[in-house]
Amino acid sequence: MENLDAARLQMAFTLAFHIIFACIGMVMPFFMVVSHYKWLKTRNKIYLTLTKSWQKGVAIFFVTGAVSGTALSFELGLLWPEFMKHAGPIIGMPFSLEGAAFFVEAIALGFYLYGWNKLNERFHWITGVIIGISGVASGILVVSANGWMNAPSGFDYINGEFLNIDPVAAFLNPAWFTQALHMILAAFTATGFAVGGVHAYQIYKKRNVALHKKAFKIAVTFGAIAAILQPISGDISAKDIAQRQPVKLAAMEAHYDTEKGAPLYIGGIVNEETQEVKYKIAIPKALSFLSFGDFDAEVKGLNDFPKDTHPPVAITHYAFQTMVGLGTILLIAGIIFLLSYKKKHWMDTKKYWLLFILLAPAGFIALEAGWVVTEVGRQPWIIYNIMKTKDAVTPMPGMIYSFYMYLFLYTILAVVVTWLMQRQIKVLNKTSVEL
Amino acid sequence: MIYVVLFFLAFSLFLYVLLGGADFGAGIVELFSSKENQQITKKTIYRVMGPIWEANHIWIIIVMVILWVAFPVYFNIIMISLHIPLTLILIGITLRGVSFIFRHYDAVVDESQKIYNGLFRFSSVFTPLLLGMTFGGVISGSIILPEHLSQYNFGEVYIASWFNVFSLLTGIFFSALCAFLSATLLIGEADEAHEKIYRRKSAIATIVVVLSGSILIIYGYVNDFVFIKDFIQNPYSISLIGASALVLIPLWIHIRKGHKILSRFYAGLQVVMIIAAAMIAHFPYVLITKQGELSLLEGVAPDSVIRVLGVSLIVGGLVILPGLFHLLKSFKMIKVLEP
Repeated sequence: MENLDAARLQMAFTLAFHIIFACIGMVMPFFMVVSHYKWLKTRNKIYLTLTKSWQKGVAIFFVTGAVSGTALSFELGLLWPEFMKHAGPIIGMPFSLEGAAFFVEAIALGFYLYGWNKLNERFHWITGVIIGISGVASGILVVSANGWMNAPSGFDYINGEFLNIDPVAAFLNPAWFTQALHMILAAFTATGFAVGGVHAYQIYKKRNVALHKKAFKIAVTFGAIAAILQPISGDISAKDIAQRQPVKLAAMEAHYDTEKGAPLYIGGIVNEETQEVKYKIAIPKALSFLSFGDFDAEVKGLNDFPKDTHPPVAITHYAFQTMVGLGTILLIAGIIFLLSYKKKHWMDTKKYWLLFILLAPAGFIALEAGWVVTEVGRQPWIIYNIMKTKDAVTPMPGMIYSFYMYLFLYTILAVVVTWLMQRQIKVLNKTSVEL
Repeated sequence: MIYVVLFFLAFSLFLYVLLGGADFGAGIVELFSSKENQQITKKTIYRVMGPIWEANHIWIIIVMVILWVAFPVYFNIIMISLHIPLTLILIGITLRGVSFIFRHYDAVVDESQKIYNGLFRFSSVFTPLLLGMTFGGVISGSIILPEHLSQYNFGEVYIASWFNVFSLLTGIFFSALCAFLSATLLIGEADEAHEKIYRRKSAIATIVVVLSGSILIIYGYVNDFVFIKDFIQNPYSISLIGASALVLIPLWIHIRKGHKILSRFYAGLQVVMIIAAAMIAHFPYVLITKQGELSLLEGVAPDSVIRVLGVSLIVGGLVILPGLFHLLKSFKMIKVLEP
C-alpha cells in the first residue's frame, strides 16, 4: 500500500474513533445535568443514582476523547507536515480557542466529579452545565477549522505562497456555520439515540425499569429534537455545497452529466468506469430543487470538472445515502418518541423498546457517514482547490505500520470501554434495587 | 506580540513540566515502591492529582498549538524527523490516561486492577523518558532538515535523530526530575507513618537527578555537543543551575520541618530553573540540526497571525488561570474523597 493511502487510513480511523468519544463526552454532560437538576428539584433518589452513574460514563468517555484528541493534535503534524506548515498559522485561531475551551471543560469536570457534598449545590450543578457548554464550544471550533479546509479563506494564494493572512476571516470561513450546526445536531441525535438505546435494552430486559425509563426519556428527548431539526440544517448545507463545492455535490449524488431539472438519485450501484448508476430510484427535478430551490436549475455534473479533481464517487455517494437514510429513520423515530408522551400505552409494548434498541447505533453510523461525505468528497484536495492531499503527506515511509498500531490500540480501547460500561450498568442495576 | 506568544509558550511548557511532570513522576514513584506502599501511593496520587489530573495534560496541547500556529517551520521539522518518538509518546499518553481513569472508575474492583496498575506504572516511566529523549533529539544536532532528507537513509533520518546516547541521557534526567517533583509533592500529602517513604524517595530522586545531569553534561562535553558547550559557557544558564543547587538547602530544611507549601514551592522553583537554564542556553537557536542551528524565530508566522494568537492566549489565560487556581485551592484541603 502506498504511504499516502496508509496515512489517510490512519487519519480516517483515528478521527472516526475520536468523533464517537468526543460526541458522547460533549453531549452526555447535558443529560447528566438535566438528571441532576431533577434530583435537586424533586429529591427523588433515582435521579441522584442516575446522575452519578452517568457522570462515571462522562469521565470515561471524556478521557478517551481527550487522549485520542491529544493524539490527533500530534497526528495533524505527524501525518500532514506540509499541510500544517502552511495551514497551521492560518487556522490557528479556532485551534487556540479550542484549547482554551477544552481547558475550561477539564477544569469544570474536575469541580464536578470531585465536588459532591463539598461544593455549594448550585455551584456544583453550574460546573456541570459549564462542562456541556464548553464541550459544545470546542466542537464548534474544531469543525470551523475543518470548514476552512472546505472553504479556504482569509489569505491570498499567490505563486504557491499564502500571503496577507487574516486569521479571523479564516476562522469565520463560509463553511463554518453550516458545518458546525450540522455536526452539533448530529452529535445530539447520535448520542441521544445511542444512550437511549442502551437504556431501552435494560427496560426491554425488565431490569430496574423505573430508573432506566427516566434515563431513556432524558436522552431521547435531546436526540429526538435534534433529529427533527436536522433536515433544516441539511438543507442549508446542501445549498451551500451546491454553490461552493459543486464537484462534491455531484459525487454525493453520483451525478455525471450536467443537466437542467436534475433528478435526485436514491440508492443505486455506482460504476465509476462506465459512469452509470444502476438500480436507483430517480425523483425528477428534485436535485435541482434541493440544491438551488428551483426545479429547473442547472446542476453541474462530474464530467464538467477535470478528471483528476474528482473525489471517489462511489464511496461519497454510498456514504451520503447512508447518512440521509438513517437520518430520516431517526427523524421518524423521534416523532414516534414525542407522540408516546401522549400515547403512553405504546411504552408498554415490547415493539416500542425493540425499535429504540435497534436504532442505538444508527445515529453514529449516520454521523460517521456524514464525515466520510465531507472528507472523501473533498479529495483529492486537503485544502480545497489549493493543496492536494498527496503533497501534504509526511515523507516518512512505512506509515502502514503506524496505522496497524493505532488500529490495534484503539480497537482494544473500544472493547475495554464497552466492557466497562456494561459492568457499570450491571452494578447500577444491583445497587438501585436495594434503594 | 511575539513576546506574549513566547511567554505563553514558555509558561505552558513550565506548567506541563511541573504539573504533568509531577503526575508522571507519581507513576514512577509508585513503580519503585514496595507492594504495600504501592497501594498507599495509588490512593494518595488519586487524592492529590485526581481533580486536576485532566488539566495537567492539556498544557502539552497548548504547547503544540502555539508551536504550529506561530512557529510552523519548527513544527514541520520536528514532526517529520521525530515522528517515531512522538508517536510512542502518544501511545504512552493514551495508555496512561485511560489506565488512570479505568482503575478509579471501573465499577467492579477485581483482577483487572492489576492490568490497569501495570499499564499505569509502565507508561508513567516510558512517556517522560521519551519526552526527554525527544527534547534530547532536538538539541543533539542529529536532526536532518527536510530538504536534505534524500541524502540519508531511513535510520539516519528517523531513528538516529532521537535514539542516541545523548538523547537517552536527557530522557533519564527528565524522568528523574519528574520523580523528584512527585516524591516531594507526596511528602506533604501522606500521613506521618508514610511520610518517611516519600522523603527517602525524594532524596533518592535528587541523587539521580544530580548524577544523571552530571553524566549528561560530561558526556556532552567530551563528545563536543554544541548545546552542552554553549550551556556551560552561558553565564545565565550556569547561574541558574548554581541557584537551583543552592535551593536544595532551603528545600531540605522545609521538608524536615514539614512545611508542605514551601517545600513544594522550592522543588518547583528548582525544576523551573533547570528547564529555564536549558532553554536560555541556546535561545533562540533551540533546534540544532546536522545542517546547523536554526532560530525559533526563523519562519515565524506573519504578524497578523501572531497578533490574533497573542490576544486569544491572553483571553484564554484570563478565563483559565483563575478557574485552575480555584480548582487547586478548593481541593487542596480535602482529605477524604469519594468519586
